[in-house]
Amino acid sequence: MTLAVRPFVIGPCRRLRPWCVLFLGLAAIPALAAKVELAPENWGHPAGADCVSCHAKASPGLAQQWQDSAHEKAGVNCMDCHQAASEDVDAIEHEGQIIATIVSPKDCGRCHETEYRDQAGSVHAEAYAIIAERVPALAHNVTGPAMQAAGCDQCHGSEVKVRGDGTLDPKTWPNSGIGRINPDGSRGSCSSCHGRHQFSKAQAREPDACVRCHSGPDSPDKEIFEASKHGMIYAARRDEMNLGSDAWVAGEDYTAAPTCVTCHMGAAGKIPSTHDVGMRNAWSLNTPVSERQYLVVLEDGGKLELADNGKPPKRGSEIEKADGTSGRVKVVAPPERRRKIMTMVCLECHAKTFTEGFMDQFDDVVELYNAKFGEPAQAIMMDLYERGLLTPLPFDEPLEFTYWELWHDEGARARHGASMASPNHAWWEGMYLVGRNFYSRFLPEARAVAGAEASAIVDARLQQGRHHAWLADTEKANPILGYLPAPVPQPATAAEDAGDSAASKEAGAGSDGDTAGGGAAAATGAGGDD
Amino acid sequence: MIRFRAPLFITRHVLFALVAGGLGGIVFMFFLLEFDHFTSSNEFCTTCHSMTYAEQAYQQSVHYNSPSGVRATCGDCHVSEGLIMATYDHTVGIKDLIKQLFGPEYDDPAVNLLHLPEAAFAARDWFRKRDSATCKRCHTLEAIQGTRANTAAIHQEETEGKTCIDCHYNIVHRKVPSRETFKREAWNAMVEQELGLPSGTAAKILAGD
Repeated sequence: MTLAVRPFVIGPCRRLRPWCVLFLGLAAIPALAAKVELAPENWGHPAGADCVSCHAKASPGLAQQWQDSAHEKAGVNCMDCHQAASEDVDAIEHEGQIIATIVSPKDCGRCHETEYRDQAGSVHAEAYAIIAERVPALAHNVTGPAMQAAGCDQCHGSEVKVRGDGTLDPKTWPNSGIGRINPDGSRGSCSSCHGRHQFSKAQAREPDACVRCHSGPDSPDKEIFEASKHGMIYAARRDEMNLGSDAWVAGEDYTAAPTCVTCHMGAAGKIPSTHDVGMRNAWSLNTPVSERQYLVVLEDGGKLELADNGKPPKRGSEIEKADGTSGRVKVVAPPERRRKIMTMVCLECHAKTFTEGFMDQFDDVVELYNAKFGEPAQAIMMDLYERGLLTPLPFDEPLEFTYWELWHDEGARARHGASMASPNHAWWEGMYLVGRNFYSRFLPEARAVAGAEASAIVDARLQQGRHHAWLADTEKANPILGYLPAPVPQPATAAEDAGDSAASKEAGAGSDGDTAGGGAAAATGAGGDD
Repeated sequence: MIRFRAPLFITRHVLFALVAGGLGGIVFMFFLLEFDHFTSSNEFCTTCHSMTYAEQAYQQSVHYNSPSGVRATCGDCHVSEGLIMATYDHTVGIKDLIKQLFGPEYDDPAVNLLHLPEAAFAARDWFRKRDSATCKRCHTLEAIQGTRANTAAIHQEETEGKTCIDCHYNIVHRKVPSRETFKREAWNAMVEQELGLPSGTAAKILAGD
């Protein structure tokens, strides 16, 4: 195996802008999966053999998984990962050894430094911290705390509590959520994607590695991938994926199809692999209104997503982190740069015009969602809160569920569907439901809540821009629901009117027959109109 | 015919003393047997309110409720076998009575729980020093089958240099970490939370305030 560093220079980096530093910095990492730099004499704990001897009997399945692992072949044993110091908060005595049940990313990072550095501060590692404050409003109020452990925390991670008697609080453990707050303070859980104790590369590269969390109504990425052409071809050509290869560089080690990992993390051509899963994402897609985002890398190794307001934070400036502490800005990657990296993955298999065209279609969907639904809905809600027409308490009024689902469920589905090319999810499971919700639930409910102030709060908002102007044209018929008004007798003087009349007559006749006939007539009618 | 003749120093008084002493000794031995037996019973141990806390977890354990109906009493585990060692253990145990009478207020649940770890460490040391002798009154290593497929093999092949208590602690009474990993502050915080005490109370209780 060669450990070739790929020198990589791109045109626009003649002046050393911060994002170039980031990009070049990333590119300087070998495109191969990062190698463990720690010398082998640091592993192979002498007590490991005893663990294996007993666990081969006590928990043979677990022991066998390790036997089949690359760890075993490299001489890495149970104690190398599970050893702990007595003073560690979660240290326990077990058969004469001081160990910890939880192997945190920091523990894995003893050997897998690059991966640990990448994932720290990533949207995955912050998955619990990002929602920690919001969780009780749904999980505790609408349901009960039991659901946080069984639901939210299983994906987002728990804040693992070690009890005074040294045991892990079962309300917070077992848990392999990806943003888990570990007893050692590190965030994340490698075993969220890398099934223990085999830690197979091939398994983690499967789309199924992501399915446990990226499926279901609010982030149906499994379903979207499967319904996309990427997923279709992956299913057909899975045996050509070379999933077990060492570096797994798209375009070199495999060309059959991409998986989740390929685009979001994988090495592709000159793009190095990364364990910062959100690094290539230009947009935030799981917010009431999507924003293009800066990726801010701090000098302490932390990272931060910031909405692109046209003024990227300056290098060296102090910036407040999500947890309230502050850090010094090291590098800022603007959304265009993040998009560029993602695009370069696409280019391994697609032409530039194709790729850019696809990205345009995706951006158009996000911008449409924002302008037509996300922004007005958010503005209406904020107005209702500020005027005291809604109580500040979330989910005690039906409208709040309606709004929540509008952006969190169908709104996210539509945007995810467009981002990964599943027409069904972009439309029927996504934006169609956004539209249905917005017009048939959200607006009527908002008007009812606004009462006398409805025109100021709701209607005024809809009249901004042209997105909702179609509502005013109430006489404009269309055969989609099977109804077209009977032709109105027109004086045959104006040619324009005659055209209209003919179209209506045709369509009207069609609607007497079968639906297909009506559709055909409508098409003709529309053509005549235009 | 051989005539048996007692030595001259065996006078009538000596003979009487021997017989009386012998009989007295036998009576005393029976007394000790009964006394050790009585003082090993659950009823006797829980005469002190402070011991009822230990009893709570014990009554939930399989040593109290075994499917076969065998029940290990306090003394079965915590008092050595044999008259001499049982008497010795009970004699040493008098210090517990003295502490109960003149020491901290062990009847108070907070005081009791705060002192539990040291008691647990001492009990584990006691078992270890005796090579888990009282466990072996009932459990025979060679006969351990277990309910899982490999329990027997583990006890045959993985127990060299180990004694029962090395692996099997925290099985009857309330869980206490090992001495090496025990963290007093975390334990105190747990006690305060569990009993609804203000933060810092535990340290004050331990300091005797």
